[in-house]
Amino acid sequence: MRDDPSVVALVARAAGSDQDAWDQLVERYAPLVWTICTRYRLSSHDIEDVGQNVWLLLVEQLGKLREPAALPGWLATTTSRECLRVVTASQRMATRLDDAPEFVDDVVIDEEILRAERDGALRAAFAELSLPCHQLLAMLFSDPPHTYTQISATLGIRMGSIGPQRARCLERLRRSDTLIALGTGEFEINTPGGGPGA
Amino acid sequence: MLDGWDDEQLLTALGEAMRARQAVPDSFVDMGKSAYAWHNIDAELAQLTYDSSREPAVGLRSETASIRALTFTSAHLSLELEVTEGSLLGQVIPPQAGTLEIQTRAGTTTSTPVDEIGCFAVEPIPASPFRLRCRTADGADVLTGWITL
Repeated sequence: MRDDPSVVALVARAAGSDQDAWDQLVERYAPLVWTICTRYRLSSHDIEDVGQNVWLLLVEQLGKLREPAALPGWLATTTSRECLRVVTASQRMATRLDDAPEFVDDVVIDEEILRAERDGALRAAFAELSLPCHQLLAMLFSDPPHTYTQISATLGIRMGSIGPQRARCLERLRRSDTLIALGTGEFEINTPGGGPGA
Repeated sequence: MLDGWDDEQLLTALGEAMRARQAVPDSFVDMGKSAYAWHNIDAELAQLTYDSSREPAVGLRSETASIRALTFTSAHLSLELEVTEGSLLGQVIPPQAGTLEIQTRAGTTTSTPVDEIGCFAVEPIPASPFRLRCRTADGADVLTGWITL
């Protein structure tokens, strides 16, 4: 993932004057910025304040990032710093909840970075799939998932075809460049479904 | 890292990824997208370094505390703002003449002069959120974050 070509390419295009590339970067990493803000238990007003500053700082830094592939790390660090600024200010006002954390551990931030990289790559790969795959997988990964009977009725697919189509769609997902790039990363991450954050 | 994941794990991971995005309000994402309007604008970003509304008002008389004061600081200059009834008064530090642009989220832009001692007045108070861009005769070009009053 450190060499994720899609992130590097998006940063390069956004450093030019490609609004579409910028939008994709924001779509991909807004959940990371958002999640870190919620770890600090900021109010929605403060989250907006932090978000605004983070994206503006990134706009300023676009052409200067030494390692564009490390963008998630840069975003996480910058968001964390901006959150701390807000936390420090609100502590002076004593408006913070007693149990709100003063400091979010680097380990937690690192986990969020890995998770954002994984989630972002999965969403990007999903976006490249065909409409039938979108519809089918969306019904399958919904929480709770739809039954084959419901899927068959909604999408007009024969019950017997759902399994094979599901396998084909997931295979296409696996083969997308974005996920292949993710697979070359050397970091460890918990498989989904396990662990307290899942 | 996806090596060894079966279809079930991949599907679960995909669902979690989609829900992580859905948890983020669209307005938050849109705000991020609109930040790109500042790309290639040669302005320096000024950070909010003081906000009286975030400070405890202990020991201040209520009429004093009701005046909102904000300070934005960049490497080259600071903007000190004071919100009074009906207007926004400010000073550029160090004092210097220039022009102040007021930009609203709706996209409207107005401007007002900054006098030799760095003072300016914005009337009426712009609709929130808005931001200020200050260009001085000495060549400084500074942009504040969004301000909500």
